[in-house]
Amino acid sequence: MNDTRHGTTEELLAVRDGEGSAWAKAHADSCSACGAELYRLDQMRARLRALPSYTPPRDRWGVIAFQARAERRVRRVSAFTGLAAAAALAGLLLVAVRGTGADPLAERASLRTAMARSQAMEQALRDLNPESRALNGEAAAAVADLQERIEALDARLGAPAVLGNDLGTQAEMWNERAGLLSALVDVHTTRVARAGL
Amino acid sequence: MADTIPLAEARSLIARAKAGDHGALEQVYRAYEGAVYTLARRLSKTPEDAEDALQETFLEVCRSLSAWRGEGSLWGWIRSIAASKALMRYRREKVRATDLLDDDVAERRGEDVPLRMDLEAALQRLPERSRSVVWLHDVEGMTHEEIAELMGMTTSFSKSQLARAHQKLRAWLGEEGAVS
Repeated sequence: MNDTRHGTTEELLAVRDGEGSAWAKAHADSCSACGAELYRLDQMRARLRALPSYTPPRDRWGVIAFQARAERRVRRVSAFTGLAAAAALAGLLLVAVRGTGADPLAERASLRTAMARSQAMEQALRDLNPESRALNGEAAAAVADLQERIEALDARLGAPAVLGNDLGTQAEMWNERAGLLSALVDVHTTRVARAGL
Repeated sequence: MADTIPLAEARSLIARAKAGDHGALEQVYRAYEGAVYTLARRLSKTPEDAEDALQETFLEVCRSLSAWRGEGSLWGWIRSIAASKALMRYRREKVRATDLLDDDVAERRGEDVPLRMDLEAALQRLPERSRSVVWLHDVEGMTHEEIAELMGMTTSFSKSQLARAHQKLRAWLGEEGAVS
């Protein structure tokens, strides 16, 4: 390097940022033109930092809080599924050991089918990855309603008293859960289709 | 911008938010909504895009509370999420090719603009990518390495974009320097 040329803008920016080469630093010190340019680059940064801030035109917190709550519910519903399924299977085994007045084989088959439906819908919902997209107000309200109903049902399915219920009642509850999950999948699928994704 | 919430208070707020306290989350939102929106406005093409980035940023904050370990600045963490959300379109729409076109258009439009512009107008006139680099580096204080990672480019490209942006700003502001 020699002093027969001036520093480039990139070299002088590096000097301004404390990262310049030894040559560029020494040159900026000794060359009045490059020294002035360095000062101008520093002033430009100060002017950029002094530009006014923007204020969001609308308060978005309501929408964000609503969707954050809805997403939290989905996570809780997903976490619940494994526990509830295990409890129901335990109930199946218990009934198999004790025996009941109804046709135990048919009732067990019916409960297994209902649980499988619920789990399939759960997987379909996960595959749609609903957390990756923002919801509009109408869809968010529908999702929240369905999630509340699923939560209420999950609370009943998770209660110890449910194990005492007959298999037919348990199968009905699992079928209801599968139906609610299916509706949830429909809401998200419709949104995806409308968005053209 | 400086962190508006002291670190100890930020740790306490995030701990409460993790426990499901939406009031704590709202405090975080209120403290940083302006800074996030300003950053998003500088990096986005339209105010609507910036609003979307604001919403997506805080939803991501709600989802990823555990990712902030309370060691660095809370604003630094939120800012990196905001920049990533605002720049998402670069990656989604592969703007690299069209940005080159933007550069050409900006050069051509230069023939018709007034001899002097104010800084705000000149900044808006920069191609999106150059504007993002100059804002993230000169205002937000991000390093070229951080910008390169965010925007999927090399550090040398980030440096050259910054230099080009300064040259354009100088020309549009009517501040022709002695150095060519």
